[in-house]
Amino acid sequence: MRAEFVSLAWLVATLAGYYALKPVYRRHPRWWTSPLLTVPVWLALLGVIFGMNYPAYIRDTHWLVLMLGPATVAFALPIWRYRHVIREHWLALALGVVGGSTVAMGSAWALASALGLDDEVRRSLVPRSITTPLAMVVSSDIGGVPELTALFVVITGVAGIALGELLLKYLPLRSALARGALFGVGAHGAGTAKAYGIGAEEGAVSSLAMVLSGILNVLLAPVVAKLMA
Amino acid sequence: MTSLHARMRLLSRRRPMVALIVQVALLAMVWFACDTVVRALHLPIPGSVGALALVLALLAMRVVPETSLRRGADWLLADMLLFFIPAVMAVWEHLPLLRSEGLRIVVAIVLGTVMVMATTAGLVDLAFRWKQHRAR
Repeated sequence: MRAEFVSLAWLVATLAGYYALKPVYRRHPRWWTSPLLTVPVWLALLGVIFGMNYPAYIRDTHWLVLMLGPATVAFALPIWRYRHVIREHWLALALGVVGGSTVAMGSAWALASALGLDDEVRRSLVPRSITTPLAMVVSSDIGGVPELTALFVVITGVAGIALGELLLKYLPLRSALARGALFGVGAHGAGTAKAYGIGAEEGAVSSLAMVLSGILNVLLAPVVAKLMA
Repeated sequence: MTSLHARMRLLSRRRPMVALIVQVALLAMVWFACDTVVRALHLPIPGSVGALALVLALLAMRVVPETSLRRGADWLLADMLLFFIPAVMAVWEHLPLLRSEGLRIVVAIVLGTVMVMATTAGLVDLAFRWKQHRAR
């Protein structure tokens, strides 16, 4: 088979898998039905059957990854839409985002060190709580492997949806603000989708918290790189 | 400028699909332009964050109304998962690593995420209650 054909077939398989499995999640929103989990599993299945060659896979699908740039720009709209929430609760949001992001990076580093993980893995774990396009940028800035970070971000998202649900049961949280920030800072876009399922205000706060902590991480990356050196 | 935005509003009503593609293309162009500038000037922020700030500034200065970008932006955000599935497939290149460290990685992520979520929610709720208390 020609290489061009194989790459194109992988792109088609990725798109087909995504658009076929997305409605399943919409109908049964569980952590294990998220397209983030089901589509890679579907592609891995194809890979096991037909043989997977990553360079051939990424040749045409890298156009999709490239779209993460414009997707990051699109975050300007939710920030603009919820500017009144920022104006009213800027202190609470800032505390949550700064505190949460610090714990995210610190805990990743400390836990990875305690568990004896490779340095490459440890660095790739540090930005795992923020949204993928920004996490991949931070990862390459601090000496991690961006593709590994993308994978860790996905695991964080899937785990975060399940863990967030569990935490909401046991933490005595009074405000939609706290419930939203929990998902946005802890589980980026995946958590935000879950937060929208709980309530519109939770979802809005979550998307804001996600964007703000992502930007904070990017701005802090040079400092973090120095700390880890 | 105003007539251009009026035309975009008309387009979103008559041909939503075309408007979506045009708006995504516009956002992609802003991103590409900012990315090029950031690279050329060796600025310390990524191009995407610079572009985000630029679009936010244009919205705040009312140069661009929200309606002119809404369809494109909402689609990009709603289907963002699709864009990072190919990045996840890079796992294939790292299978030996995951076989030896996968379980420990998952433990680190789960414990870390619980800590992040509890801290964030705790701090936000604390600030929220403090504000309510003061308002009384």
